[in-house]
Amino acid sequence: MTDVVLGSAEKSADPTGGAGPLRLALRRLRRNRIALAFGVLFVLIVIACLLAPVYAAHIAHTGPNTNHISEVIKVNGKDTNVVSLTDLPIGPTWHSQFLLGADQNGRDVAVRLLYGGRTSLEIGLIATLITMIGAVLLGMLAGFFRGWVDTIISRVLDLIWAYPALLLGVALGVSLAVGGLSIGPVHIAGGSNLIPALVIGIVYIPYVARPVRGEVLSLREREFVDAARILGYGRLRIMFGEVLPNLSSTLVVFFALQLAQSIVLEAALSFLGAGVQAPNASWGTMLADGVQDVTASPHLTLVPGIALVLTVLAVNIFGDGLRQAFDPRARIRVER
Amino acid sequence: MRHRRTVLGLGLLALGLGLTACTGASGSSSSSTGSTANSTDKPGGTLQVVQGTSPDSLDPQFSYTTQGAEADDMVYTPLLQYAVKSGTAGTQLIPGLAAALPTVSSDQKTYTLTLRPGLTYSDGTAVKASDFTHAIERACKISWGGKSFYTGYIAGAAAYDAGTASSISGIKTDDSTGQITITLTQPYGAFANLLAFPSSAPIPSSTPMKVLSNTPPVGVGPYKFGKIVPNASYQLVKNPSFAGFKIPNIPTGYVDTVNVTKNTNTNTEAQLVLNNQADIFDPGDTVPASVLSAVQSQAKARYQTVPLASTYYFFLNTQVAPFNNVAARQAVNLATDRTALARLSSGSLTPGCFFLPPTIVGHQNGSCNGADPNTVPSAADVSKAKAMIKAAGLAGTKVTVWSETRSPRQEFCAYFNDLLNQLGFKSTLKVIQDTVYFQTIGNQSLEPQAGFADWSQDFPNPSDFYLLLSKAGIQKVNNENFGNVSDPKIESQLAALLPIPATKLSSVATGWQTLDTYVADQAYVDVYGYQTAPKFMSNRVDFNKAVFNPVYYIEFSTVELK
Repeated sequence: MTDVVLGSAEKSADPTGGAGPLRLALRRLRRNRIALAFGVLFVLIVIACLLAPVYAAHIAHTGPNTNHISEVIKVNGKDTNVVSLTDLPIGPTWHSQFLLGADQNGRDVAVRLLYGGRTSLEIGLIATLITMIGAVLLGMLAGFFRGWVDTIISRVLDLIWAYPALLLGVALGVSLAVGGLSIGPVHIAGGSNLIPALVIGIVYIPYVARPVRGEVLSLREREFVDAARILGYGRLRIMFGEVLPNLSSTLVVFFALQLAQSIVLEAALSFLGAGVQAPNASWGTMLADGVQDVTASPHLTLVPGIALVLTVLAVNIFGDGLRQAFDPRARIRVER
Repeated sequence: MRHRRTVLGLGLLALGLGLTACTGASGSSSSSTGSTANSTDKPGGTLQVVQGTSPDSLDPQFSYTTQGAEADDMVYTPLLQYAVKSGTAGTQLIPGLAAALPTVSSDQKTYTLTLRPGLTYSDGTAVKASDFTHAIERACKISWGGKSFYTGYIAGAAAYDAGTASSISGIKTDDSTGQITITLTQPYGAFANLLAFPSSAPIPSSTPMKVLSNTPPVGVGPYKFGKIVPNASYQLVKNPSFAGFKIPNIPTGYVDTVNVTKNTNTNTEAQLVLNNQADIFDPGDTVPASVLSAVQSQAKARYQTVPLASTYYFFLNTQVAPFNNVAARQAVNLATDRTALARLSSGSLTPGCFFLPPTIVGHQNGSCNGADPNTVPSAADVSKAKAMIKAAGLAGTKVTVWSETRSPRQEFCAYFNDLLNQLGFKSTLKVIQDTVYFQTIGNQSLEPQAGFADWSQDFPNPSDFYLLLSKAGIQKVNNENFGNVSDPKIESQLAALLPIPATKLSSVATGWQTLDTYVADQAYVDVYGYQTAPKFMSNRVDFNKAVFNPVYYIEFSTVELK
């Protein structure tokens, strides 16, 4: 690590007053009020989504997939069909039941929004973890070993990169949606949320692995790596003990930005029928359900649309704040 | 003919049933003259029609969709055709280019018809009896979607289709007398219905054996094709020679020209008709919910929903748990809220619980298992059904509900999935792309337990529907009997009913009703309604005079401008 080669004389001359990189980053982040505000917004969204079962059971008194097609409710003292005789669902009532209206099947949009948020965030998070783990492993191997290892890994990544992420996601998603995925004894059912998470995770690996490889190519030539070699450290120890910690700030930033990308791709795949499978709610499936009645029932698209925009905006701005905080001079970009 | 898919395999299924043919179904034509103009008639003008979907083809020996049949019905009059009337009356077979209904031999395998004298195509070429042979051969050669009806029943048609014979040996014609004799491989009660397909209409024998979608052959009909812009528009122009044939009960048309234009946006399509900028809304489309209330309030006098011979149901696999248990099937039928499902279709579905749909002989409107499907609030009894499932020890059984992606079918299945969970099953929904849905659920290796199914008539005959619930319909792949219904009682009743000729169907209406009631009692399928189509027109046309035929939908020859 960089600290290993820093002498005590240099430390005393440090203009930061001895604060570590993490503390410095947090200090910079605290000064970025906009990023912090969006970070708080994201946390609030996550909390709201986690509380979906509580809202469904104690406030809306209905489940996310429960149909109320023929039911009549009182809105401002007036009997109102949840779904009209011509299949027009009720709009926002601003009451506990059907707060944000109902969809074509008479399902509570607010309940589905929260459950859909859980699904979208869960898939986004798992997909991002898959992307980051895959990308870090491949990027480090390629960058550290170079030579034929780099050639093979880079060409495979190029191959995946050659396909537009959405098209590749749709192709994989649709093909796995029916039969699921079986790898040895492990079977993931077709309707499982792990399928879109896996698809998204794999699709985005090259987008992170290539910048990681570039960083590792640079880091492996640094003095602290030479020092580790002189000390007789093995390759794996150098990779994971010396190089990886120096990638941490880059990875933290990538994680945040990638999370936003994964949420967007999940919504896109679900919108196209290649992601979350009906009747499970995700913001993408909610958009798909609502788009056919966009003029008559705009709330069906507006509600999940706004939620999606806010979440992605929050993650992106907070992620950008993290980038500025961890390395204000770095030009980290998720290449698309 | 609106199909959820081609019926290539269906003719073969019918073949497997060993149907018997019509008995002497000869008859004379009616004396009324649909071709005679009344003093109140106002001929002339141009009709503007908007369609959400273009015809698959205008070639009569290739087209196999509602939109295609609607056009071809005006240009190609077959030997027999359906009465140009609305409702069940419109399913009655009448002579078209044939002078009378067919004479059938005692062994029910030979049909004899005679062409009306003096008929000419719209280009002036004389119609010959051998042109009928050419039409059937051409339908086989260019692979019409329903050609298996011909190859399955007409002697020699299969050999001709396979390329081992130069002509269809089972069709003999005499151009001098106009006599056409068709020999079948086995008796088939619905054969007269096959003669009413536009693909059976005579065309000049010089017509090449290739698909002519953009330059379709000439025919004998009230209209002929004008300008055709592929996949965008086509024009029907009045055929002046048709009126001279004075064919009884077949209108010669009012307007001079019918312009049919494609508009894929059903919202725009509906608005155009609502604002009288177009005259006819495509009955193959559904008026969007966003426009429907405006249509119902502003254009009540020119909007109507017409029931079609199309049954919507959830199939229940009777060979796999839990629906191999009659109690489970009956419970699901009891709990299905059919009025709720009708809502999901924006009014394009009318609730029902019997398998045979409206306009088909044997259809009933009543209650099933004591519950009226039309009752509001619904007569569906979820609590009782739940108790039945529990008593049968089936609570907690895993069920997969299969669905198509398209709306409202996916919404139907989302409802059904939720209902099964309410009843105590552990149900999950599996949504399949529309293009592969029926092939997927028709694959027995997947053991589909329940899911969406529908059937629209190929021709107005109950046998066309009961192929789906017969033992002969069960196949390993491309299965049509999704529920694998195999009941000796159904088979024995079908053996008695299927041989009845198409022209005498009404005589066995009670028999079909009894069979349909038995199927409802056994809850072999969970029928929830019948499709309706919109009859929606501008205020420029005489709405009441325009005929909505259950087979060919809007009969353009009956539409008159005010």
